[in-house]
Amino acid sequence: MRAYELIRETYFRRSYIWIAHLSWLAVYGVFWWSFVPTKTETTGKFILVGSGLFLALTLSAGILGDDIASGRICVLVTKPFWTGKLYLFRWIGLSLQAAVHLLLTGILLGVLDLLTPKNSIEGLGVWLLASWLLFNAVAALSTSLSVVIGRAFNSLLLLVVFVAGYLLMNALMVLLRGEAGAGWLMAFVRYAWPPFELLRKFAGGEYGPHALTVGRFSLSHNVACVVHSLILTCVYGVVGVLLCRRQFSRVRD
Amino acid sequence: MQMRKKTNIWIVVTAAAVIVEVWALYVLGASAARWRPAMIVAEEPAARALYEAMLDAARDAETLSYRSFCSGPDSGPSAYSVQLKKPNLVHVEMTNGLSTKVTMVLADGDRVRISWSGDRPFLKVDDFERNEPTQSNVYVDMSGSPADVAGQMARLGVAWSDLVWSPSVFFSGADEFEPYIDGIRLRGTNEASGEECDVIEVSYFKAQRMRHYWLSRKDHLPRRVKEIVRLAGQNHVIAEEWFRVEIDERISDERFAWSPPEGFRAWEPPELEDFLLKPGSDAPDFELPSISGGAIRLSDLRGKVVWLCLWQVGSPKCRAKMRYLRSLHEKTKDGPLAILGVNVTDDRRIAQTFLRDEAIAFPCVLDSSEEAAKLFAQGYGMKSSDAPVNFIIGRDGKIVDAWYGQDPHRAPAALQAAGVQDVDR
Repeated sequence: MRAYELIRETYFRRSYIWIAHLSWLAVYGVFWWSFVPTKTETTGKFILVGSGLFLALTLSAGILGDDIASGRICVLVTKPFWTGKLYLFRWIGLSLQAAVHLLLTGILLGVLDLLTPKNSIEGLGVWLLASWLLFNAVAALSTSLSVVIGRAFNSLLLLVVFVAGYLLMNALMVLLRGEAGAGWLMAFVRYAWPPFELLRKFAGGEYGPHALTVGRFSLSHNVACVVHSLILTCVYGVVGVLLCRRQFSRVRD
Repeated sequence: MQMRKKTNIWIVVTAAAVIVEVWALYVLGASAARWRPAMIVAEEPAARALYEAMLDAARDAETLSYRSFCSGPDSGPSAYSVQLKKPNLVHVEMTNGLSTKVTMVLADGDRVRISWSGDRPFLKVDDFERNEPTQSNVYVDMSGSPADVAGQMARLGVAWSDLVWSPSVFFSGADEFEPYIDGIRLRGTNEASGEECDVIEVSYFKAQRMRHYWLSRKDHLPRRVKEIVRLAGQNHVIAEEWFRVEIDERISDERFAWSPPEGFRAWEPPELEDFLLKPGSDAPDFELPSISGGAIRLSDLRGKVVWLCLWQVGSPKCRAKMRYLRSLHEKTKDGPLAILGVNVTDDRRIAQTFLRDEAIAFPCVLDSSEEAAKLFAQGYGMKSSDAPVNFIIGRDGKIVDAWYGQDPHRAPAALQAAGVQDVDR
């Protein structure tokens, strides 16, 4: 029951949450009507960035830090329980919100596709799955940061780090092409940060061409991509739970 | 008891997660499969016929135009627009990633011209001071045939991902690596660029290099090419996707006409050889693992003239050079000349197979570590992987001459200067 209350609470935590959801759905609708994309990839990439990254940062802004700073956390946690639960249920709440959001996105785009048939939603499900996986990873990282960073600065910091990471990847590709050591830096950005690039390749079906298999579709690469993304989410989560244990002492004053 | 049970469960879960993650990283790292002899493809006549049909289609076409995306797992995509016209005209426009800066390449049989709408690429041999005055508004005008286009583009670092299917196939109707094909086999049918294709797998250099061609059933030309090059510890994969393929479409000669863009000036790319160790300088000593076991130290050869040759299995020039050195070694093995092969790129088993097949008996070192690469890049001034690279080192341990490739006049003169007589070209 407490779990349900905590998960439900993430939906009603702030009034802007509903506005954020509806705004993003509206943005997807406007994007469709404005550009009428002829390729699923165009829509997919937009959703991946929109829902996987920006929506995750919006919904997780101050998800723990804000409540710690304002003292709201004391209202939520009135009885002693495992401190990691607070983190866990809040993250699950975010993940469920994303699942519902992406489901609605799929329905919305399906209806729009019926109205403006362009054959451009084939394979959209994989893009929605990739967006959900990215959302989970970003939300877990953001929630972990929120344990130790006050107010909504967790999301702001992550946004800056994401932009810097993207620029770093591009700079490395251009400036350090073929240099020893650049590969390690690129591998760090690719595998230790939220897996935006991996999931884009997974959803876009790009793993086949670069796999050692003949066909375009490489099952092992796609499974590895999803598994890596889930494990990375767990690692971010474990860090968050450990930080929670450090933040909230069980010892009474 | 309950606590210990819980801890054990967590240990098992963590260990399982670590194992699965290691597997995932291994698969995603594009280095999952190490070379093994079973990878060498056996010849299938039906597949060979498809391969020949591809070469014939290229040979018979008067013009060919297509667009392509080339990409690798570690590099961004490069987009190409290629137009080729017999007998020797090339027009290539290329962009990297989302950049709008276009690199234009034109060739007309005698000259290859390359110009950039933005800054030219920064070369490994550039320093920032030297780079700045020639960074923008420059073009290259060099002698060369259409067959050199892909090689020159790669040498100048024009694209993030280089072309796999060289325009030279269109002009010569031959694959540059054709003499090194082990076998070709069919891998079924598959769709590429919206067309039904036959997929063939071609193995070169004892499976050191593999190419998969998706050949359209309509015109037998590729719609996708995937190349896997197996080097020490990793596989380099590059994929080329073709679309809007047009054969014998009318292309005006004006499309291939060259005039320098207004306000641009000619730029001479630096000669790689200028960066190699100069005659008279000390050859840096090293001790590297021998390919046949043990270690070889350069200074142990002091008192003999040493021909140091950096080579790679997948380079036709290197293979020819190694055969020449083998015959030279047989003639001079008891004399004052010591030949030492150096390989800093290849997989040990692939290199060993090549040396065994070619009965090469002179000593070779093989080390793909960063330290070895640094030694030859910085210590010996080898700024390009364009093997073979030759260093003639005198009895006193000083460089007598150093050069790239195969210059038939250079070696006898250098060896003579070092005191080794009667060496054939």
